Amino acid sequence: MTDPLEKPTPGPRPRETFELEETGFNEVPKRFRRFYRRWRGPGDKLGPNEALCPVCKVVIRSTKTLRAGDRVYCMPCMSRLELVEEDGMLVAKVIY
Amino acid sequence: MTGPDSPHDLGETEFRDTVRSFEFWFEAVEGYLHGRPYGVTPGLKEAELSERQRDGLITTLCNYCVGETAALDASSGMIGFAPDRGAKVFLATQVVDEGRHLEVLLHRLGQLGVTDPDAEIEQRANRSLLKFKERLLEFVDARDWEASVFAQNVILECLEFTVFRHHAGTADPITAEMLRGIVSDERRHMGFGENDLGRRLLIAPHTHDRLYRIKRELDSLVLDTFAETLGELGIEREERPDLAGDYMAAVARLGFRS
Repeated sequence: MTDPLEKPTPGPRPRETFELEETGFNEVPKRFRRFYRRWRGPGDKLGPNEALCPVCKVVIRSTKTLRAGDRVYCMPCMSRLELVEEDGMLVAKVIY
Repeated sequence: MTGPDSPHDLGETEFRDTVRSFEFWFEAVEGYLHGRPYGVTPGLKEAELSERQRDGLITTLCNYCVGETAALDASSGMIGFAPDRGAKVFLATQVVDEGRHLEVLLHRLGQLGVTDPDAEIEQRANRSLLKFKERLLEFVDARDWEASVFAQNVILECLEFTVFRHHAGTADPITAEMLRGIVSDERRHMGFGENDLGRRLLIAPHTHDRLYRIKRELDSLVLDTFAETLGELGIEREERPDLAGDYMAAVARLGFRS
């Protein structure tokens, strides 16, 4: 039997990689458009690579799973955001 | 977060220089304005409006014209005392946006049968909004950057963003598409204001009390105006959006109590 203390401690799961498709979002230059999408309202759900901008309510997308401590940019409203965990949920906070 | 063209890989300075540039603005507005004269897809059919609906819409658009004129006059004046070149260039793009907003709103008033828009605006303009405009332009005349950015880019733009977004969801198709184009511009204007002021308050926290007094004086003027606007559009009180919600969230992020 292996001593549980000798077992390797589970680290954070590796980040998944996402292929970003065009979403129809058209408020930033073409090369950046796939990194954003419109929030579709209360029924909408964020993916593990997405965060909602608290300033302008656009969904920010990344090619990797997002985690607390990550920094992302909302180009449509020019905000710099940091992801923090609140009540088990990932929330974007503005950094000035 | 890496990937070709990922905006999230930009450095902070590079990001700020990019989003405040004319290059960025050109390519952004191309996405939602190209091929849409006066902000509307050609051939979009006019909906049938009752006389009461048409009259309410005219009053609303007249008040939007007052707000947009205030922003046009203020943002053009602010270029002269903006604290850095990036802010000057961004404000130049905002001036173009505000001029366009005024133009498309006047064009829509013409489509609704208004032949003398100046007289109509004079007659229908909300007194609180006119008072707000007067105070905003006093801050600009005094070359008071913090007060001007706060009044224009945080208070006015934030409330316009909420009202236009909600109105676009209930308006006739032509007005709705025109308003959606304006909302896309407003995202930049209010984001610029909140981020500029947020950075400034970190460096100069003593500015906070002064801006709080300005907030107490001005926010009720704009809130009253837009609450009245929703009434003119015939939106029942219980169906009206939480006008203050986005605005209160923005000022809370900047550290102001409601």
